[in-house]
Amino acid sequence: MQLLDIRNLTLELETPDGIVRAVDRVNLSLREGEIRGLVGESGSGKSLIAKAIMGVLHQRWHISADRFSWCGEDLLRLPYQRQREIISRDIAMIYQEPSRSMDPTAPIGEQLAESVPDHLVEGVSWWQRGFFRRKRAINLLHKVGIRDHQSVLNSYPYQLSEGVCQKISIAMAIAKAPKLLIADEPTTALESTTQAQLFRLLASFNQLKGTSILLISHELETVARNTDTLSVLYCGQLVEAGDTAELLKNPRHHYTDALIRSVPEFQPELAFKQQLYALHGSIPTLQHLPIGCRLGPRCPNARKECVKTPQLERQQNHFYSCHFPLQRSADDE
Amino acid sequence: MILRYLARRLFLLGFVFVALTVFVFSLNYLFPGDLVSNLTGLRNITPEQHQTLQTSLGLDQSLWQQYIEYNRRLLDGNWGLSFASQQPVLQEIGRVLPATLELASYALCLSLLAGIPLGLLAAVRKDSWLDKFISGMALVGYSLPVFWLALICIMLFSLQLGWLPTSGRLGVLFEVPTQTGFIFADILLATEIDRMAAAQSAFLHLLLPTLILASYPTNVMIRFVRHSMLDVLEQNYIKTARAKGLSRPQVLYRHGLRNALLPVTRQVGLQFSTLITLAMLTEVIFSWPGIGQWLIDSIYQRNYPSIQAGLLVVSSLVICVNMLTEILHTLFNPLARKF
Repeated sequence: MQLLDIRNLTLELETPDGIVRAVDRVNLSLREGEIRGLVGESGSGKSLIAKAIMGVLHQRWHISADRFSWCGEDLLRLPYQRQREIISRDIAMIYQEPSRSMDPTAPIGEQLAESVPDHLVEGVSWWQRGFFRRKRAINLLHKVGIRDHQSVLNSYPYQLSEGVCQKISIAMAIAKAPKLLIADEPTTALESTTQAQLFRLLASFNQLKGTSILLISHELETVARNTDTLSVLYCGQLVEAGDTAELLKNPRHHYTDALIRSVPEFQPELAFKQQLYALHGSIPTLQHLPIGCRLGPRCPNARKECVKTPQLERQQNHFYSCHFPLQRSADDE
Repeated sequence: MILRYLARRLFLLGFVFVALTVFVFSLNYLFPGDLVSNLTGLRNITPEQHQTLQTSLGLDQSLWQQYIEYNRRLLDGNWGLSFASQQPVLQEIGRVLPATLELASYALCLSLLAGIPLGLLAAVRKDSWLDKFISGMALVGYSLPVFWLALICIMLFSLQLGWLPTSGRLGVLFEVPTQTGFIFADILLATEIDRMAAAQSAFLHLLLPTLILASYPTNVMIRFVRHSMLDVLEQNYIKTARAKGLSRPQVLYRHGLRNALLPVTRQVGLQFSTLITLAMLTEVIFSWPGIGQWLIDSIYQRNYPSIQAGLLVVSSLVICVNMLTEILHTLFNPLARKF
């Protein structure tokens, strides 16, 4: 079943220099039980999209979309109260800086207990609710692999390492058994062993509970290893989307191609000390975005037509937006 | 852990007091006039007396010994006599200090009770007309000098409308013996008067000075609390809390309030010295028999022993309150406890 279906999501910010369109007509869809990766450079609008889905974007942003449906209900057209109800029931998010996403002056136990949703404590007599919530909190800690629950529950966020904090924020996220878990660069602050643990944890929730996961990252190799489908963003535009394996094998967009060729892991025949492939130039600032395809000035294959924004084209499950897509490799034809 | 912190704070407090007493002691030498009379407060000392006093005060010994002797006399409660009244200075301070404490503490409580809710309200309803009104009023109140405001209010409420008395702590009709120095406690202890009427009179006398004195700290508090709350509301953990599914009041109560109010405890300590200074002005304007007015009178009369003693007491008060709020802040704030 289609959980999330977003068509032409546009996020705009009014600045003194005029309106900045940080996210430009992005499509995003997620089926139940799917793990989708969302990759792009920093500043490409990944986190903005995540925040827009969570409904915690700052008021200065203007959100518009042709369709923003969650389980068949268009969230943007619902009254605010109902919107919050649905989101807080079904969607949870973990952040890139876990220790900063927790209240610094509240003990962990309190913060975990309050993330246990109310409908789980219904039917428990009110004097037992605190006890019940605490029991749930301990349970959640065990689930994310923290055995020493007593000392963790009584500590404050600053007393714990980032890895433990990230596990706790996952525990908070899964407290309500969400249908969708958004992980916004969950591993940036972590060491590699903890990263592996975390991905195993996410994968197990996906397999055991059928939780869909939207994994946001700028590291293509981790995303490639852990996701079923992939969306690639550049400067707020969706450049390519499709099944992860297929997309990595046969990229149609020049940006995706450049992204894959810049990762040594995907280049088995890379010679010793050979230069990695990279596009010329750097990502433009939000105030000076090019018109049309935003990759235009950096694209090796850009032509006159590229000043018009390309339509999203579809080939089975593979979407790309490019006037002059890369051709499929010969053995595939 | 916490005991070590307290010990360190108290150690620091000791040092501050040493510095303070050194300064006050050196004033004896710096003030014009005779050293012996500056120290004792005696006037018209005969040469024989002068000789015996010099030995008893330890003035024939080194400065260091003199300082120790001075401290010993301070601890014994022997603070010398006032030039003006030839009464022991400590006794005079005991008479005037409660009046100031009363005025300042009521004003402080009022500023907290009014300032914190108004500041929070302005922050929560940011950019609404309510916020603009509160912030605007706070800015105006912040910029008005206390003495001007006091005089205007006396003119309006006391002279033109005649609602409130202009000066003093109590109507002259009431004969309330001084026992504790705190007016309401004294009225309660007094036996031969109409207590209700006396309390009402005391309240009316107290009302205007308290309101005037509270105006500055209240406005500071409003601005500070508003800013602090807005800061907190921008933080990531507030977004997380909202994403958890807590309602807006729940988020504000559980995560906003504590984080926004923690810096306020420290702010109270910082504002206290300003408050005492303003209390002196208010006391002079309203003829409030407190330590501020007493100290200013002493300065006019070149009453050196009183100036010293007043300085010592007021500074100690400010230092102690500062230290107390600092310790309270640490006790309440887990972040400050990471030493």
